[in-house]
Amino acid sequence: MAKHDRHGGDAAERRLRRAADRLLLHMARHGAHWTALLAVTSVTGAVADTLLPAVAGHTVDVVLRVASAPGLAAGAPGQAGYWLAGCIALILVIVACGALGPFAAGMSAAATTQWLRCRLAGHVFACGLRLPGRFPAGDLVSRMIGGAAAAGSAPSSGILAVTAVITPAGSIVALALIDPWLALAFAAGLPMLAIVLRAFVRDTSDITASYQQAQGAITARLLDALAGARTIAAAGTGDQEAARVLVPLAEVRLHGQAFWRIQARVAAQGSVIVPLLQVVVLGVAGFELAAHRISPGELLAASQYAVLGAGVGASIGRLSQLAQARAGARRVAEPLAEPVAAQGTGPLPPGPGCLELRGVTVRSDGEPLLDGVDVRVPGGAVVAVVGRSGAGKSLLAAVAGRLLDPDTGEVTLDGVPVASIGRAALRRAVVYAFDRPALFGGTPREAIAFGVSRPSTAQVLAAAHDAAATEFLHRLPAGLDTPSAEAPMSGGEIQRIGLARAFAHADQARLLILDDAMSSLDTVTEMHVSQALTGHLRGRTCLIIAHRAATAARADLVAWLDRGQLRALRPHHELWPDPRYRSVFTPGAVELAAADG
Amino acid sequence: MADQGVAGTSGDRRALLLRVLRRSLTGRPRDTAWLATWSLVQALPSLVSGWSVAKATGDFLAGGAGTGRGIEWLALMGLAALASALASRQTYLRVAALVEPLRDDLVSMIVTAALQNATWDSAPRDTGAVARITHQAEIVRDTFAGLLAVGLTFAFTAASAIIGLATLVPAVLLLAVVPMAVSLALFCCLLPSFARWQGRSVVGEEAVADSAAAALAGLRDALACGAEDQLLSGITDRVTTQAAALRALARMNLLRTLCLAVGCWLPLILVLAAAPSLVRRGVGPGAIIGAVTYIGGVLQGALYTLTRGLGGSGIRLAITLQRIVEASAPPADVPRAIRDGDAMSGGRALPGETRPGLAPARPGPPGRPGLPWRPAEHGAVTSGSQLPSRAARDFAAVSVRGVSFAYSPFAEPVLHALDLDIPDGDHLAIVGPSGIGKSTLAGLVAGLLQPLAGEVRLGGAPVTGIAPADLPRYRVLIPQEAYVFAGTLGQNLSYLAPEAPQAEVDASVDAVGLRDLVAQLGGYRAHLVPTALSAGERQLIALARAYLSPARLAILDEATSHLDPVATAQAETAFAARPGTLIVIAHRMSSALRAGRVLVLDGSSARVGDHATLLASSPLYRDLVGHWQADHAVAQGS
Repeated sequence: MAKHDRHGGDAAERRLRRAADRLLLHMARHGAHWTALLAVTSVTGAVADTLLPAVAGHTVDVVLRVASAPGLAAGAPGQAGYWLAGCIALILVIVACGALGPFAAGMSAAATTQWLRCRLAGHVFACGLRLPGRFPAGDLVSRMIGGAAAAGSAPSSGILAVTAVITPAGSIVALALIDPWLALAFAAGLPMLAIVLRAFVRDTSDITASYQQAQGAITARLLDALAGARTIAAAGTGDQEAARVLVPLAEVRLHGQAFWRIQARVAAQGSVIVPLLQVVVLGVAGFELAAHRISPGELLAASQYAVLGAGVGASIGRLSQLAQARAGARRVAEPLAEPVAAQGTGPLPPGPGCLELRGVTVRSDGEPLLDGVDVRVPGGAVVAVVGRSGAGKSLLAAVAGRLLDPDTGEVTLDGVPVASIGRAALRRAVVYAFDRPALFGGTPREAIAFGVSRPSTAQVLAAAHDAAATEFLHRLPAGLDTPSAEAPMSGGEIQRIGLARAFAHADQARLLILDDAMSSLDTVTEMHVSQALTGHLRGRTCLIIAHRAATAARADLVAWLDRGQLRALRPHHELWPDPRYRSVFTPGAVELAAADG
Repeated sequence: MADQGVAGTSGDRRALLLRVLRRSLTGRPRDTAWLATWSLVQALPSLVSGWSVAKATGDFLAGGAGTGRGIEWLALMGLAALASALASRQTYLRVAALVEPLRDDLVSMIVTAALQNATWDSAPRDTGAVARITHQAEIVRDTFAGLLAVGLTFAFTAASAIIGLATLVPAVLLLAVVPMAVSLALFCCLLPSFARWQGRSVVGEEAVADSAAAALAGLRDALACGAEDQLLSGITDRVTTQAAALRALARMNLLRTLCLAVGCWLPLILVLAAAPSLVRRGVGPGAIIGAVTYIGGVLQGALYTLTRGLGGSGIRLAITLQRIVEASAPPADVPRAIRDGDAMSGGRALPGETRPGLAPARPGPPGRPGLPWRPAEHGAVTSGSQLPSRAARDFAAVSVRGVSFAYSPFAEPVLHALDLDIPDGDHLAIVGPSGIGKSTLAGLVAGLLQPLAGEVRLGGAPVTGIAPADLPRYRVLIPQEAYVFAGTLGQNLSYLAPEAPQAEVDASVDAVGLRDLVAQLGGYRAHLVPTALSAGERQLIALARAYLSPARLAILDEATSHLDPVATAQAETAFAARPGTLIVIAHRMSSALRAGRVLVLDGSSARVGDHATLLASSPLYRDLVGHWQADHAVAQGS
């Protein structure tokens, strides 16, 4: 079994890696002209870089020859001019490529990052509520910001990883061409370079991990303390708490210093190797020069080739950048691999708002959160959904109005599968209010009017009244048009604006879903809002998720959920004799009664 | 306020940046001096390279004995490289010595400010933002270290190239220095607009993150409203804006590279072109090669360091520092309304300067007009002078006289000329609809809020006259969100009474019903992981801690909201039996029925009395209790 799982995991991993690579290919095609420009300029620039020391060295030789023996050859000064012109031409090519290459890389990264971010954002909305269930919101944002930016640089990183090899490799070849002994001297020094690079990677990863851990400890302590801000204020222990939060700072400092010591050592090793390589190559070149086997210009070229050849280390760094870009692409590809909920397109014929769930199952990581739920709500009925927390009440509400598609089973509204109804038609037919609504728009008026239809001013005002929001809204300096920033609202007030938003769009709705939307209202206000539901909003099917027995008692039917399964769909008074049903409303009371008995 | 008022201007950012950098450099002069010294040593190979190559070439060309001297010159170069390697190790350590304390300072500043700002009304802060801030201290450390290293490397390397050229072939010095100066001048001209676009890119990326986070937080609502397209276009607009900034940056980078190319390559071309005339004037081949080494190797390297290192780190550093300063602003800059136990929305600052005064009917106390929502400012009067030789029990009696309070300049006053007497030993419940001011009254009685008018006295002494450090001895207040910190259970329990004997700790644990949890956690020495405890478990710990406190006045502000009715009853009964006064802000009506007296808060008016009196006199109380009974009547009726 475990083995099977592991194989399943491997297959998923492979699929994901393939998806990430496909995404990278797609991106490369997306900013193709910039990618092509980068490829051309970086290859050309690298070749010119490799040629320049040789050409410059030869120019120096020609100049020295002409100057030391004037009149030796009539064509020599002209020849020096040609070589100088060659140098200038090469330099111009290097400058042009050196400027255009990064430019193309920047443009390509901008284009691909933009494309990735838009695509991911679109995908998030297309997937609906399933994606935030699989990925925490903060994680998705960081994939969209950091992941997309890293992946966006993938085309350029890929090209640079390849072209970065050209100059070092060319330099070693050039050394060999000038004099084989030079190349040998250089090659002898290369292993040192590899050792330093390896040591750095190995040493820092441990230290970095412990450093971040100590840092995380400070953050965790700070968050705890901020959550207890009122207690700290009342106890007057702010300074004491600051000291407590900062205790792990000593450890941070310790790891920080260790990190710097390693960095310092590696930097010292790194900074000694290139000059020593250069000295070794120059020494060999000196002997060859003394033996007249090479010219002064060739010695100059050899000295520069030694430095360029040591750039092999940098090209290894390029490879790690490519690895980072691939990791970024993976982070973007992962949420993109989640299936998109298909958009319905069909109409919704008129009907009373009869809601039916058949065998609805929703799973998370294989665990059923809703398990084969069958519910049939006749049009116009008020149904209270009750159950302990975690019973699946909000999930049922989400599935009923297609905020989420069930894994198996079907939801129909007046006989039409909700998945087949066009989005606008469905949103007009089903309105929601929530426990903690997210409000959009800059003012309370915009927040109430926000939605698929545009309610009139009269509708907005009536909705605010029904939601018992009129009084506090009128107190604001500009009433309904007070900018949100100037009108901080309490949880209860936000909840009432959320209710008003639902009521303002309830005109054409046949199904009203209140997901614990009155939890922060006091009993008087709740009565006021309920009156609107039983008054002029009557006739619409209502699904009310509730914690209070009174709400359940007022409903026509109670859907009692227990651990994802429907226990019963019956009137409240028929269920009340069951002590397990009563315990839904007064946790602990039943156990007490049992103990007393 | 000043920092917030001008937030976002690049001039302010630059000033802030310079101030921080200057302070951290001048604050540790020894480290700064050593850093400069070692950087100098680090640049030795640059200084030596041209001379060594020049002399060695000349010697090698001479052949014979010259070869030996040539090797010596090269050995000098090798020695310089070794010295430089040693020095580079030292510069790293010195940079660390400068930036590590900077990180410590910033983290301490952030944490201390966050906790000193922790006041009665700051509880529902955006804690995530604060957490990110601590990470930003890291960004400051890294970018500052990078800037220091790049700046020093450039300065010393460029200087050594110039010194080397000036001594080796003075004739070419101008050929190298003039293009380089031109190039640097152009580079500096471009810097402001480069910085502007860099800033726009960083801010643009934050805007993308913010809009995406907001959309994700409201995804369910957006789907339910059928408004996905609206939100999506908001995000894509920001993504497009940021991409435009990235493209502008790429173009600026193109210009910058071309500017630096002038300094990098023109000297080389000029020296090569001038070489024939130089040779004719008697400059040897070695000197020519040395000059090319200085220009092609050292100077180019210095300029290249500059482009790579100064990319955008200065701007990022400035923006990050600004975020930290904003986050550490004192709480008075972020006024917010207070409502009963409710999480606040937004949490943005009210427009401070344009804040209108309150209506004339509710004048503020002289000297502090229109700022009733500020935390109480404890000032000159200390307990020592005002309250000599009085026992703590005297402070358990509360008297509220003519107290008024408003949430914000726009709101109706929640409390209006409230009079209330709570004698020592009383058990009072406060009931009323949500958002009506119950927590506010608790804050006023506890001396954590300053009334707009009127006065609260504990045992006859004005509560705002008692030093904050002394207040916890007289009253204990337990808010709804219980604070449990990472420490032992024992430390958490004795938080308000560090010297309490074990027997008292045991007694309080038994009284509030924490015994089972103590056993379950593994005794008083058990280390607590706050996030591993349920909200109810945390509330039980907070209750036991408060029970143990020496204060005789206990205020429970919905402190049992996460406990079941049985546990609530046990805890409240225990506090009622505890010597002293008990004020319970009732989450359930059953808490009110347990109390001897009840205060009904109803917006404009307040009534106090026992159950029977209030049933007769308060329609709201009848309503509240009636609805509660109706619940049971309907529920049990059938």
